Amino acid sequence: MAHVSIPMYWRTIPQRYRMVGQKCKKCGSVNFPPKGVCKYCNESSEFDEVNLSGKGTVHTFVLIGAGGAPPEFAEQEKAGGSYPVAIVELEEGPKIIGQIADADLKTVKIGMAVSTELRKIYNEEGVIRYGFKFVPQ
Amino acid sequence: MAFGISGYGIAIPRLRVKKEDYVKAWGSFQAAGVKEKSVMGFDEDVLTLAAKVSLKAMASVPVAPDKITRFALASTSAPYVEKLLSGTVITNVGIPNGAFVSDHTTSSRAGTEAMLAGIEHVKSDSTGWAVVAAADAPRASMWSPLEHGLGAGAAGFVISNDNVIAEFEGHTTYACEHFGERFRPSDDDLIHDLNVKKFAQSSLVGTTTRAATSLMNQLGVKPEDYAHVVIQQPDARAPSAIAKKLGFAETLLTSSSVVAELGDLGAASTPVALAAALDSAKVGERILVISYGSGAASDALSFKVVNDRKAQPGVRAEIDRKEYIDYVQYLKLKGAIR
Repeated sequence: MAHVSIPMYWRTIPQRYRMVGQKCKKCGSVNFPPKGVCKYCNESSEFDEVNLSGKGTVHTFVLIGAGGAPPEFAEQEKAGGSYPVAIVELEEGPKIIGQIADADLKTVKIGMAVSTELRKIYNEEGVIRYGFKFVPQ
Repeated sequence: MAFGISGYGIAIPRLRVKKEDYVKAWGSFQAAGVKEKSVMGFDEDVLTLAAKVSLKAMASVPVAPDKITRFALASTSAPYVEKLLSGTVITNVGIPNGAFVSDHTTSSRAGTEAMLAGIEHVKSDSTGWAVVAAADAPRASMWSPLEHGLGAGAAGFVISNDNVIAEFEGHTTYACEHFGERFRPSDDDLIHDLNVKKFAQSSLVGTTTRAATSLMNQLGVKPEDYAHVVIQQPDARAPSAIAKKLGFAETLLTSSSVVAELGDLGAASTPVALAAALDSAKVGERILVISYGSGAASDALSFKVVNDRKAQPGVRAEIDRKEYIDYVQYLKLKGAIR
């Protein structure tokens, strides 16, 4: 399992629960997830905190199934069946990876509008790790 | 000053399992009047649903999360027995860390218990804003007939002095000692029922009618003053029996009747039903809300509709958004097959 320690997960709660990103003070680009140095201008490490809308469109996606899930998602795949993982282009600009939940698999398409909501991501050490997934809008 | 419900919203997990699938598997289906019921996805729990309805309720007012001064959560099937539950929700929805929070978890009456916590807050501080979220998906053994009717759903409310759509008129509670129906010992994550039906029925009807009668006496109103009666829905039979005893026409139950399509929503039963009633209630109409939890207690609350604003999308749209699964898929999602 890709182990993420409790303190490390805890530090990322603003981005995982509330889509808190950064706006670069130099070039104005929005970074998500937050970075040390702006990934767009590669120059500034000064940011303003911004709350992203969580809205975006599916840039591309893949279906994970048939035992292809990483260990922390194996139980989900067994109990709930194949699940889509997408790269979503957020309306603020960043492209990010996330699962698509609550969708009929036949309706998942490139370009479909999605938004984030809180879901259980996986369980490790008896602690439920919550975070965002995308759902059809 | 008039205060009450300023906004509301519901969330029903998308999956459904039908009565017929139970009949195929077990030969019978024991939840009276339930045709199908809602089922949580693998990645949902009462906290994710509570977060969803809190956001919807705030958006329906609208009010910004940073204005909220009180948050109350209700559920009988929380993922942790010890650990603050509200913290997950307020962090997701942006309610300030300084808001007073409370988790209400030991009874299917917890939904109205949490609503009253929100109401008490706004009553004592007229500038206060409360968000109340009731989310539930009770669990019982697959071998138990009690399990057949158990569904999943959530409703959220904003209580304040601002933008009120249903004014709060008053409430009463009747609490007493009763046992044998629906209980969960601390070392068990499944609810039990000793199947003492007549005994349980007397507690259900006795407790709820005492709460409701005393509220109507206190307010000086009669059954004919109400246009909607919202009653706890463990099955379709319970609200009818209670309404009949109180002298309400069966038709007053229609606007809030959700159990046939969603099943028993536990602590979220009365809150989801209230949201359904609010969706169709007209200005000037009164709504009587009667919850019930084994053990036993009942809250009765009276509201008067003062504004036509409805939450969008409505309760009906949320109930109609669904995908059917079969009984084996249901067992897998519930963790009954591992």
